[in-house]
Amino acid sequence: MTETRADFDEARGTLVVSGAWHADAASVLPALGDKTVRAINGAGVTQLDTNGAWLLLAAARPQASDSMPELQAFQPQHLAILELVSRHRAASAAQPERRRESVLAMTGRGAQVMAKHALGLLDFIGRLSIELLALLGKPGSWRWREFAAQVRSVFVGAIPIVSAMLFLLGVVFAYLLGDQAQQYGANIFVVDGLLLAIMREISPVIVAVLVAGRTGAAITAQLGTMKVTEEIDAITTLGLSPLAVLVIPRMLALLIAMPLLVFIGDIAGIAGGMLVAQQQLDISYSMFMDRMVDVILLKTLVVGLGKAPVFAMFIALIACRMGLSVTRDARSVGANTTSTVVQSLIAIIILNAIFAVTFVRLDI
Amino acid sequence: MVESVIEVRDVSTTLGGHSIHRGLSLSVARGEVIALIGGSGTGKSVLLREIIGLLRPQAGHIEVFGQSVLDSTTQQMNALRRRFGVLFQDGALFSSLTVEDNVATPLFEHTDLPHATCRRLARLKLALAGLPPDAADKRPSELSGGMRKRVALARALALDPELLFLDEPTSGLDPISARAFDALIRLLADSLGLTIFLVTHDLDTLFSIIDRVIVLSNGRVLGSGTVAELKHIDDPWLNDYFAARASEGETQHGN
Repeated sequence: MTETRADFDEARGTLVVSGAWHADAASVLPALGDKTVRAINGAGVTQLDTNGAWLLLAAARPQASDSMPELQAFQPQHLAILELVSRHRAASAAQPERRRESVLAMTGRGAQVMAKHALGLLDFIGRLSIELLALLGKPGSWRWREFAAQVRSVFVGAIPIVSAMLFLLGVVFAYLLGDQAQQYGANIFVVDGLLLAIMREISPVIVAVLVAGRTGAAITAQLGTMKVTEEIDAITTLGLSPLAVLVIPRMLALLIAMPLLVFIGDIAGIAGGMLVAQQQLDISYSMFMDRMVDVILLKTLVVGLGKAPVFAMFIALIACRMGLSVTRDARSVGANTTSTVVQSLIAIIILNAIFAVTFVRLDI
Repeated sequence: MVESVIEVRDVSTTLGGHSIHRGLSLSVARGEVIALIGGSGTGKSVLLREIIGLLRPQAGHIEVFGQSVLDSTTQQMNALRRRFGVLFQDGALFSSLTVEDNVATPLFEHTDLPHATCRRLARLKLALAGLPPDAADKRPSELSGGMRKRVALARALALDPELLFLDEPTSGLDPISARAFDALIRLLADSLGLTIFLVTHDLDTLFSIIDRVIVLSNGRVLGSGTVAELKHIDDPWLNDYFAARASEGETQHGN
């Protein structure tokens, strides 16, 4: 078998090539610089494919628009391939490098995307409200089975992770707080601090973050995949509204499940704190309970639980909207799922800050 | 002597308790354009997947370019895979990449060429597959079904394979696009000297571009030959199959 070679004969302006010409043959091409190749001699070529033919032509004629070099001594089938390639070569002209965007342009584009998301959410809320109003008049058309299935997956499925997480946070919080309080002999005030922190802030926010990551992502991925497989279109074609069939049951399930999860989180967090108080701070369970009854205000519990439905509403809105706005490819399912979690987390943080400021102003 | 590119001997396959192939044998010579036909569930696509090494039959022997597919190591198989291209039924384009990058991916992965050269070669392949230049920067989801098939064909051709497997290349295309795609396949087969193995239901494909048809039935090869030769075989399914076209012709005549 002949070795794959390419030599430039300066005297005649001829590129003499031989051997097997595939994509891998590029490395044997000599550097031609701006020497003019008048002809290519292919007497020794044993194999030639389109990649090889393109490499030869591109080496001899960097510009596709230039006329073909003379082709000498090629076998007929190789000549046919060279001609086929040269006919389509114009399409493979070098493309200008895509320009990198400046930071300013990227910031602008990001702001545009965020504005579009906010507007889209508003539009979605509007359409959803119309649908809800229509449904209010027809209790028979509520999707109770779907609603029950969603409550099961959103609420029952999340109980273990919520209790485990809040229990451990209660343990950590009571331990750190107790460490400080002990220095002043103010052990019993650990109960006050723990209750306030867990019930008012930690449990609602942590549960919301968990639900956004667990359920919000699942809703977007599921609705998005249904969009890709045209199931959503099928629902519309059957004369049903995807909002009534898919979105409203999920939304209601989240509205119901979140306060319940926050309550479970409260109990788990307090249990964790109690354990540490008894072990570390010599506060017996009964002392803890007595103090709890004394200091706990219904207000603290209600404020914590009251935040939950608001968080739930935003998570459900964002997740469903992102799910339904998936375009028909796998990439956008992933992108929208990520976007759901990010948007939900931002919404939770902002809402929580608004709540904190409002409650202080209102002296609650 | 004609060199055989695909050699299948006594292959038996059982999937989910159903016996699909019972001692099936066939061979394809270099340069042939072969169509595999058969009723639904006769294991056409399964056989294709076995030949390209995605599925393992329970028994038998499969050779591609003289190398056993079933006894090859992963490395040997990957070297073999560089020599053939596959066009999947729905194109199976990577939705996260542009059309150009889809076609350039095999070149990125399997050659030492600079990326700019790979991209230019990808554009050449797109032009060979009959796509307009402005399609290169689009994403697969922005293309019509016919254009996606062409992109998939361009990707299958990226490394200039000697052998091309096509799984129902014209399904889901309108008759005009389907005939144009058939013509393109034949043109490439003739000008690049490709061996083509395609699975199809499309009668028009059989009549227009195929050298030899292989019919699967009851887990075996019922017959092989040109369309005219196959019409002499007396088999209920085959008779119905060709009758489907004949009645179509009569209707046209009646109108």
